[in-house]
Amino acid sequence: MITDTLIAPFTDFEFMRRALAAVIALSLGAAPIGVFLMLRRMSLVGDAMAHAILPGAAIGFLISGLNLFAMTTGGLIAGFAVAILAGLVARNTELKEDASLATFYLVSLALGVTIVSVKGTNIDLLHVLFGNILAMDNQTLFVIAFNATVTLLVLAVIYRPLVIECVDPVFLRTVSRAGAPAHLAFLALVVVNLVNGFHALGTLLGVGLMILPAGIARFWSRDITGMICIAVLSAIASGYAGLVLSFQTGIPSGPAIILVAAVFYIISLLSGSCGGLVRQAFPGRHLEA
Amino acid sequence: MRRIRLWLTCFALIASALPAHAEPLKVVASFSILGDLVRNAGGDRVEVSTLVGPNSDSHVYSPTPADAKKIADARLIVVNGLGFEGWLPRLVQSSGSKAKIVTASDGITPLRVGSSADPHAWQSVNNAKIYVTNISRALSVADPAAADQYMANTQAYLTKLDALDREVRDAVSKLPPDRRKVISTHSAFGYFAVAYGIEFIAPLGVSTESEPSARDIARIITQIRQAKIPAVFLENITDPRLVQRISAETGAKVGGTLYSDGLTGEKGDAPTYIDMVRHNIKALTRALGD
Amino acid sequence: MAAQITLRDVTLGYERHPAVHHLSGEVASGALLAVVGPNGAGKSTLFRGLAGILKPLSGSIDLDGLDNRDIAYLPQSVDIDRSFPISVFDFVGTGLWRQTGFFGGMGRRERDRITQALAAVGLNGFENRNIGTLSGGQMQRMLFARVLLQDARLIVLDEPFNAIDAKTSADLLLLVKRWHDEKRTVLAALHDFDLVRTSFPETLLLARGLVAWGPTAQVLTSENLTEARRMCEAFDDTAAACAVDARPSQAA
Repeated sequence: MITDTLIAPFTDFEFMRRALAAVIALSLGAAPIGVFLMLRRMSLVGDAMAHAILPGAAIGFLISGLNLFAMTTGGLIAGFAVAILAGLVARNTELKEDASLATFYLVSLALGVTIVSVKGTNIDLLHVLFGNILAMDNQTLFVIAFNATVTLLVLAVIYRPLVIECVDPVFLRTVSRAGAPAHLAFLALVVVNLVNGFHALGTLLGVGLMILPAGIARFWSRDITGMICIAVLSAIASGYAGLVLSFQTGIPSGPAIILVAAVFYIISLLSGSCGGLVRQAFPGRHLEA
Repeated sequence: MRRIRLWLTCFALIASALPAHAEPLKVVASFSILGDLVRNAGGDRVEVSTLVGPNSDSHVYSPTPADAKKIADARLIVVNGLGFEGWLPRLVQSSGSKAKIVTASDGITPLRVGSSADPHAWQSVNNAKIYVTNISRALSVADPAAADQYMANTQAYLTKLDALDREVRDAVSKLPPDRRKVISTHSAFGYFAVAYGIEFIAPLGVSTESEPSARDIARIITQIRQAKIPAVFLENITDPRLVQRISAETGAKVGGTLYSDGLTGEKGDAPTYIDMVRHNIKALTRALGD
Repeated sequence: MAAQITLRDVTLGYERHPAVHHLSGEVASGALLAVVGPNGAGKSTLFRGLAGILKPLSGSIDLDGLDNRDIAYLPQSVDIDRSFPISVFDFVGTGLWRQTGFFGGMGRRERDRITQALAAVGLNGFENRNIGTLSGGQMQRMLFARVLLQDARLIVLDEPFNAIDAKTSADLLLLVKRWHDEKRTVLAALHDFDLVRTSFPETLLLARGLVAWGPTAQVLTSENLTEARRMCEAFDDTAAACAVDARPSQAA
């Protein structure tokens, strides 16, 4: 019975195996990024980025029609432009990250809508651009896997400066010139993960598997390495359980995965070992020393 | 003096005939297929503008101020009805138009999809004939002076539609009965299926919005495998990768594009209604025939 | 002795208003210099200039070839994100950046050095604590431990003994003396004149511009202190652009 519910869907159907592979690859890339985003108070950047890529996709559409490659490349370029410009403005002026990003993505969105209306059709470009986890073809799987590998490699390189920059940015500025490049590399990773996530899996999953696992991890670990591990594992677990849920009950797959992650999140919020609400209310007897 | 009166009467008669050569009747059609039907019924006596143009999606259309202007200037608005143009009533009201609205699908027996009606009635050529007849009647009411012309145009077009209908039935009859079923991403072919006997099975619902679940996909794959459905078709609006995936996993052939919700541009495969139906039946027979 | 820091007519400030106006002078290598002055005198601004965070509005700061990894700067600690999940051990360990860079491993030797640094400031046992759980004094000691590990030639401390108890101050002062003995150049911004008189041989009295600079006894006189108090703290919004001329240096 258990095998039937939990394993059989994946042995019987190739699209389920591919979906699971996609979820694992996405979790490996997106979850660590999500932890850093959360710690840098940039958790809403995902939504902003989903809109910011519109002019790039629109220009790709103008040039090549409904060609997914052109539109994704355009989206990537637009995403990079917005992220990097926002990052540079935040570093060199009084405007902070959130306001800087908000201003740039709004400009980008307005540009995108204008460009689309010039062409005259009303196809919801973003709808076309965003994919579905049940439709993983070889090319998309390859892109997500490649993306995860690159993300992990780059993160390994910029890990130290990124951490120091979060905790004590003044210190980093005084001992190294690595702060700005590390930050920009991080933003680039965010854009790549988001755009590829959208392209493969849609906005909900692309952003959801970045941010929710980070929120979950916050309640189980006080150490950033521990947080990253827990985030990746909870993302994979949510993906797996969500796919099974979608298979057995007919809920659309993207929302199913996010709903499972949300359940994990609420459980963590209530009873997580680091600051969960129930633990706060009932802390147990204090220690001797 | 009598001469002058004679001349004046002649001039008056001529003058009254002049309007017949003056303004064409301004008609607004809600989307491209209706626009094509109106043009065929009205000929050069009508000036047709369309709101939802070629290669666009009527289900998610957002009207622009230019549309409100088109409606305000029109004498007649042709809509599909059956819930197809949810965005239209407010647009008409806010534009302050005095145009008469004619529902092309009046008199058709609608198919039901769940609790609502399936609006894609034009997929059956016989229904299209009813559409054209309704349109023609409305044109004649709006512009009685040209009623004869409208009648003539309509008759000619109805003959073409009859021929088209026979074409489709012939093509279907040549297919082996157990191969008369396809998968398409857009279940807007309900009327076509009922009229011509090809079964259309879709992974998604009627509009382009809903997202599939793993269970839905598994069911389709199982169904294709069990029923040995030979072909899978793409629709020009939704995600083609999903259809590719289903095709890869079942061995069903990917058949090309079917057009259901609107025409393509001039250079596309389906610039007119008749072209659209012809293209669709050719694509179907090519995929199912082997 | 060669000058470690040479200030040539330096003006540092914000939005064109000078916080440090036309400062010139030299700090010898290995000096132990106290920088004093009323609030708003420009001490923190000067230190930011030395650390390379703030670019001078005019004039130049010459650090005799030191690059930024040779300078340890201890600011007034406001910018640290205490909610970040990092332990005291790891935080102090970032002081080894100069040796480890991006990738260098933290081997046995490095870990021992970190433990020793923590012990030197009296924070043994705190290795696994999250930085958010530390008191003000413990935070300051942790920052001193990091400076220890940085092994820098030039050490710049901005009000390092603010809001900490006398015992901790005394302990940290011993560290400062140790750095002086190791021939490092140390600058510290301070408010406690007794501390300055007993422990710092040289003093710079700053009041947005130079008031006095030299041996402590000659600088901390009541005339100088009175003159420093006459400094105006606020920026003048109606000020005109400054005509370039250096005030004569009053260094002894």
